[in-house]
Amino acid sequence: MIAALFYLQYHSTRNRLVSRFKRLKQPKYLFGAIVGGIYFYFYFFRYVFRGYTGGARQAIIPAASPEFMVLMESLAALALLVIVLLAWLIPHERAALTFTEAEVAFLFPAPVSRRNLIHFKLVRSQLRILFSALLLTLFSHRFGGNGWIHALGWWLILSTLSLHFLGSSFARTLLLDRGVSNRLRRLLVFVLAASVGAVVWLWAKKTLPPMTSADTADFTSFMNYAQQLLNAGPALYLLYPFHLLARPFFAPDAGTFLAALAPALLIFLLHYFWVVFSDVAFEEASVEASQKLATRIAAVRAGNWQAAGKKQKARRAWFKLAPTGPAATALLWKNLIGVGQIFSARLWIILVVVVAVVFTGFGGSAHAQNISIVAAIIIAILLGYSLLIGPQLLRLDFRQDLPRADVLKTFPLHGWQIALGEILAPVTVLAGFQWLLLLVGLSLTVYMPGKHETLMLAIGISAAVLLPALDFLMLLIPNAAVLLFPSWIQSGKDSPRGIEATGQRLIFAVGQLLVLLVALVPAALAFAAVYFPLKFAFGPVTPMPFASLAAAVIVAVEAGLGVRLLGRLFERFDVTEEPAS
Amino acid sequence: MIQVEGLTKLYGEFTAVNDLSFSIQPGEVVGLVGPNGAGKTTTLRCLAGIIPPTRGTVRVGGHDIVRDAIAAKKQLAFFTDEPRLFDYLTVWQHLNFVARIYQVADYEKIGATLLDELELANKKDALPGELSRGMKQKLAIACGLLHSPSVIYFDEPLTGLDPYGIRRMKDSILKRARDGAAIIISSHLLHLVEEICTRLLILKNGQKIADGTLLEITRKFSEQTGDASLEEIFFRATGEPGAPLAPPVLPLAPK
Repeated sequence: MIAALFYLQYHSTRNRLVSRFKRLKQPKYLFGAIVGGIYFYFYFFRYVFRGYTGGARQAIIPAASPEFMVLMESLAALALLVIVLLAWLIPHERAALTFTEAEVAFLFPAPVSRRNLIHFKLVRSQLRILFSALLLTLFSHRFGGNGWIHALGWWLILSTLSLHFLGSSFARTLLLDRGVSNRLRRLLVFVLAASVGAVVWLWAKKTLPPMTSADTADFTSFMNYAQQLLNAGPALYLLYPFHLLARPFFAPDAGTFLAALAPALLIFLLHYFWVVFSDVAFEEASVEASQKLATRIAAVRAGNWQAAGKKQKARRAWFKLAPTGPAATALLWKNLIGVGQIFSARLWIILVVVVAVVFTGFGGSAHAQNISIVAAIIIAILLGYSLLIGPQLLRLDFRQDLPRADVLKTFPLHGWQIALGEILAPVTVLAGFQWLLLLVGLSLTVYMPGKHETLMLAIGISAAVLLPALDFLMLLIPNAAVLLFPSWIQSGKDSPRGIEATGQRLIFAVGQLLVLLVALVPAALAFAAVYFPLKFAFGPVTPMPFASLAAAVIVAVEAGLGVRLLGRLFERFDVTEEPAS
Repeated sequence: MIQVEGLTKLYGEFTAVNDLSFSIQPGEVVGLVGPNGAGKTTTLRCLAGIIPPTRGTVRVGGHDIVRDAIAAKKQLAFFTDEPRLFDYLTVWQHLNFVARIYQVADYEKIGATLLDELELANKKDALPGELSRGMKQKLAIACGLLHSPSVIYFDEPLTGLDPYGIRRMKDSILKRARDGAAIIISSHLLHLVEEICTRLLILKNGQKIADGTLLEITRKFSEQTGDASLEEIFFRATGEPGAPLAPPVLPLAPK
């Protein structure tokens, strides 16, 4: 029987890979694969192949000291402890092995034992684990160490954690069957964890010298203190099994690795027997989970990635939509309701309250000046990211609605009206977020050294005027791309995967940046044309908002032309061609 | 109400619809039938302005669906076999949205009546995810009928409906026709077509092979065999030359 399950897994994987290779015949995937391959080589693989032979070994950071590696091992053990604790604290469902609907339909009524189903699940999870181990190795290997040791170390850690998650879900189900509710279980685990934490804290208070400002003065001192805390007393015993599991990964050579391997493998095997010999009924919950999975996949394939995340709730509209008026407003209204699934009014209120509390809290602080400078820098970075990354993340436009393009096309609207309506919602949300950041940034000027309020105000107003127009422009580009190359652009979470998909994304990111730079040239000229004449009359600060307004007008005109173009693209878009996802 | 002249749709080298011409008057219910791949859905999509025809013209209420798309689309409604709804809009929000798109000023009154008729009044605040397949279909119908279209296309309208839903759908189609709407129904369910269509348009490989009333088509394809059912006519009309009247039935169990 197990041979049939292996057959299923082997051929599913093989066929998937073959179809991936076959699609490389299409130039768009081939170019994507080439660019993606180059990216992966320069980002990861060159550290594997280059300079690691012939004595020219050179990692990004110099070789770490043994003491540092011991500390890293302790921190890794602590991280594993936290992960394991969370696995007992957070989940609440009964044990469910994730099968597809087809697997449920074929395997559950078939004469396949429960243990064989678990084995099938374990074998299948190994594919994911091996791939994750490879990626993590490529990453961790950049910082030095032996690649094989890292790979095997990651595999051991990930496999054992995977078994632990499964085992804990079985234990959770057994507890539920015996009348121990999720709430009681969580309380017990929490009390246990808190008690152990208290013991460690008491021991540290009694044994270790109190933490002084010198301990937090620099990274090394802080790490030394952490070393003392984690490698002695009760923490050492508490973390011991986790040390055993993490140790092979941190082994500096093959000999040490082999010595560390046996205890780690023992932990792995204990987990394996725990899972395989647990007699827990998982079938019913698995059927339910497979149906949820199928619903999620269907939602994602229909372009509705929000529905894939969690059960949706009906949301109030952001404003009342009158039955007559500009039709594009209807699309804005609709998409804002969709946005409401992510950015609810409650979230905005919480944000404002948090900001207000933080302000009043640190207003009287002696460090207010330094903190305000750091906060201002963070806000500036966030603003930059929001402009560049925001349009990629807020996809409540054509990228979401493209699978329903046939519905949109039956509407008695011009293409530009649909394009405008589609883009307005992400622009609104993005501009709202940016204005909030600007408001916070401007408020910080109160605490800043020197008298820069006027300058900061001018910069803030300029940014507030310019950003929405720039957002609009930035959103036009991916929307045009999705209409021009629907199969190139991901339209949901169920995005194309693999090296070729990464390459495609890189190509478009570069393209987007180039288009933005070209579009900014006329805006920059308009800015200069207004700014420099006014500068002679009013000084360097006052003309800023006016020059920005001129630049924003140019960007808005460009965006308007872009909407026209986007509308035409939508009118010509053939819904029968290759779908977006 | 609907005039189609020389409609042709090509996908690269493949001809999905080839030189199709017909016209439909107000009050007519035309059944569009044909085997899989005959070009029925492509035809409906061209007629609804979803995809542009490669050649030919489609006029809806006198307006060209390509050149005067807005005026043409204002008059039509297209119901697909799978209801296409927005997952995050409630039932009433769907109606509100469609009202703004079609500028239906008194949508609240019309919408409430439609929801009552379709037994969705108690689901006003439900999301599509909370509705059954049949209810989703009803919501799509409510949205489509909100602006009182004079041209209606149905693509497999009975998919997923229970017997009550089927009966109501048939009644609804006939009522719209009586009110003067021109209706096209694409379906594989020949008994539905036989029951409610006043005319039949049979497609095969993108080409029209028969167009007329049920009686006319029966006469045309049953000259040699006498009276025949629509099913037999369908096989005769769409089968290969010299093919048997109906395809052989596969045995379920050995005799």
